[in-house]
Amino acid sequence: MEHVEKEMTSEESLRIITEMIQTAKSGIKDNGFFYLLWGWLVFIACVSQYFFLYVVYNQYNWLAWAILMPLGGVVSTLYGIRLGRKEKVKTYLDQFMSYVLIAFLMSLFTVLFYTARTNNPALGYPLIMMVYGAWLFISGGALKFKPLVIGGCINWVLALISMFLDFQWQLVMLALAVLLGYIIPGHLLKANHKEQ
Amino acid sequence: MSQFKDLDPILHSQLRLAVMSLLISVKDAEFSWLREKTNATAGNLSVQINKLKEAGYIDVSKKFRDNYPLTTCTVTKKGAHAFDEYVKNLKQYLK
Repeated sequence: MEHVEKEMTSEESLRIITEMIQTAKSGIKDNGFFYLLWGWLVFIACVSQYFFLYVVYNQYNWLAWAILMPLGGVVSTLYGIRLGRKEKVKTYLDQFMSYVLIAFLMSLFTVLFYTARTNNPALGYPLIMMVYGAWLFISGGALKFKPLVIGGCINWVLALISMFLDFQWQLVMLALAVLLGYIIPGHLLKANHKEQ
Repeated sequence: MSQFKDLDPILHSQLRLAVMSLLISVKDAEFSWLREKTNATAGNLSVQINKLKEAGYIDVSKKFRDNYPLTTCTVTKKGAHAFDEYVKNLKQYLK
């Protein structure tokens, strides 16, 4: 941009406005980190619980959840702080996504609290998949990223199917839900980000 | 000639118009981002940002991050309205 202010024509003004608005538009900033982190953590926890519960019949089958979920919370917080520090601009989409994230976490917390209070995981897993579905569908729509939207729909379908299954198969459904809703779209998002 | 309204002199300047066009598209932006996108010098950008601030078109907040000054700019309602009017008037010239 030039130092000296000179008389601008209306065409020049229009060109500056158009160019700058285009410049401000960034592509998808999300590199898929959170989807991959939580996708893999939940997937490992599901597989581990299935293995200890139905293969080796160990009473500490829940241990992976107890270790991996707080670990995910710490890593997410640290990564989120680092990301916030690097961010030079906040778009309206960023603000919208923050609200969606808070809504997701509050809903998830409510479901987890209810599941723990009733001590009935078979009740909670379909509801967790339903909450995952909403989060993925809205995020995918806002980012205009189809794999997340599809992942969200898959989570809703698996949530419905899980309502008719016992706990053993619900674990398999949850693992499948995070694989199709988080892990695969997360890898695609990462590839998309690298390409940009 | 009276059919054309005068274009707002605060906005009718290359750098100030560029800054407003960038800020109108985002919620808030740091000084360094504006500098990067406009390719302006820090001094010139600082002067133009001050002019926009004095006109009440943008809010400028100054903080510190890791002991370095951090300047963040946001468009005000008055600024958004002025930008809207500027674009409307510009369209008349382009007809």
